[in-house]
Amino acid sequence: MPDSLPLRPGDRVFRPHRVKRFHLKRVLGIPGLFSTAYGDVGSSIYYALGVVAMSALGLTPPVLMVSGIIFLFTALTYAEGATMLPEAGGSGAFAFRAFNPWVSFVASWALMLDYIVTMSISAFTAISYLGYYVPVLKDWPMNSFGGIVVVVFLVFINIRGVQTSSRLNIALVFIDVITQVSIAVLGVMLIINLPQLIQNIHWGVAPTPNQLLFGISISMVAYTGIETVANLGSEARRPEKSIPWAVMLVFFVVITLWTLLSMTALSAYPVYQNADGQWVTDLTQRFLNDPILGIVNVMPLNIRPVLSFFVVFLAVTILIAATNAGMLGASRLAYFMGQRQQLPGVISNISARARVPANAIIFFSIIAGALITTGQITLLADLYAFGAVLAYTAAHASIIALRIKEPDLPRPFKIPWNIRIRGKQIPVTSVIGGLATFITWFIVVYTHEIGRVVGFAWLALGLLIYIFYRNSRKKPADEWEIKLGKK
Amino acid sequence: MPVAGTHADEETIRLACRLAKRDKGKVWAVSVVAIKRALPLDAEIQSEIKKAEEILDKVEAIAEEEDSEVETDVLQAREVGPAIVDEAVERGVGLILMGISYKQRFGQFSLGNVVPYVLKNSPCPVILYQQSSVGK
Repeated sequence: MPDSLPLRPGDRVFRPHRVKRFHLKRVLGIPGLFSTAYGDVGSSIYYALGVVAMSALGLTPPVLMVSGIIFLFTALTYAEGATMLPEAGGSGAFAFRAFNPWVSFVASWALMLDYIVTMSISAFTAISYLGYYVPVLKDWPMNSFGGIVVVVFLVFINIRGVQTSSRLNIALVFIDVITQVSIAVLGVMLIINLPQLIQNIHWGVAPTPNQLLFGISISMVAYTGIETVANLGSEARRPEKSIPWAVMLVFFVVITLWTLLSMTALSAYPVYQNADGQWVTDLTQRFLNDPILGIVNVMPLNIRPVLSFFVVFLAVTILIAATNAGMLGASRLAYFMGQRQQLPGVISNISARARVPANAIIFFSIIAGALITTGQITLLADLYAFGAVLAYTAAHASIIALRIKEPDLPRPFKIPWNIRIRGKQIPVTSVIGGLATFITWFIVVYTHEIGRVVGFAWLALGLLIYIFYRNSRKKPADEWEIKLGKK
Repeated sequence: MPVAGTHADEETIRLACRLAKRDKGKVWAVSVVAIKRALPLDAEIQSEIKKAEEILDKVEAIAEEEDSEVETDVLQAREVGPAIVDEAVERGVGLILMGISYKQRFGQFSLGNVVPYVLKNSPCPVILYQQSSVGK
């Protein structure tokens, strides 16, 4: 009613909520998506190579290739899910739609563990690389202390709301790719030795079947940051084209570089039997926390200082950026879980002053800091593998379930290679990827003792919080749901 | 025209309405809510949306006084400058009119981040309007 007309008794003024005004500005194209995704995934090689080589030994290159295939299948699953349900929750959001809040909670909570571990492992490794120039930072407890300082610094930045530059991010990723490609090319030209790589493999002995299984499961840590694809789904321009292209691009760059770098590393540091009779490589004996510096260490003397500088500079910046990405991921996921009544408001609420979920950032950063204090990169990798494969399995299962339950749901990007079962199109890559990640999770539980104990403790803690929170609410939202159907 | 709820908005809106009336054009006012990367882009920060709605309510009221019609919109974006430029390109606008208030940074007059970005990247002419009485 116009304000100029006088109100009469009984008149009421109704101003409808102008929902139509609310628009989202999607600006990320293929370069933006690639750089953000590669910024996360590409950072993992700085720590994953040592952790994987420790157990997979001479089979590290094929192990990284196998997990690369799993990564591709999982990335395709995330691409379909992210374009279909462009929400921040990733596998938790897919499971919420496909199954129920409980499955969604487990997937989200597992993913939260991944984000926390990403923060810990990236901050810890960044400081280990810095140790090349500041040797005191190479050893525990100073490397842990340095890692905690990085996390605290990022908490401050994210709560104070300092803007991060996307252009700087693209530039850093560009230099990172160039440096990694240069090392790989130098490796192919000067170091890779195929007979040596074959000699490194001692079937059934080094690695033993158990070590090989352990290596495959822990190699998931080489692909940290795959969830980024899901997070970016809602920010991509023309997601139906840009997301699959970005995913394929990241896959080809990553798998090529990882394979070449691991071949270079194991040509330079052959597998041998030490005095205790154990099969080891000097890559993990001397460079477990900074394996790329190990590769640089065997490069010709005249280019070594330049390469070392680039590797240290890029590793530190990219890993700090990855720590930040983990923090932002945890924050967004906390918001998602809060919106779906899966996390108490005291953690997930948006701070009025900072306009971000400040409590969530602080709470999960404290846990990340606590993990850093252990100074054990293998423990962190164990935990990552535990959470990651659980979240990936949930994502694959959800995408398959949604193909069955809601086949008509608009899918801007639909995974190719489908088989038809009872009229429903089932994506083959999701079935294989789901089985692979599920089996990998069993391997993690079976072979990683610390991962098993801490991982299950994390799940139990989360479920306790969830149950307590649900029960403390007088009328949970789902109790209000009106069930329609025959009596 | 992008509006941010500053003192300069009122005069800028009146100017936009008069220019549009003379050239039989259309005024489109947008308030951009910047969402930090710690939240998903579709996060609904009620306080910010309410603020944006209030700004646009005021815009509509001023346009009504000028006997003009104005189309209003709330945008959520990561950064304000690129959102304005991108939207201007998509809508094919003929002119961007921005009201600015006098601001100082480190003791020097500053245009902030948004205005220079729009000036540098705008696909169309840009008019900056600064109220003479503000900040002096």
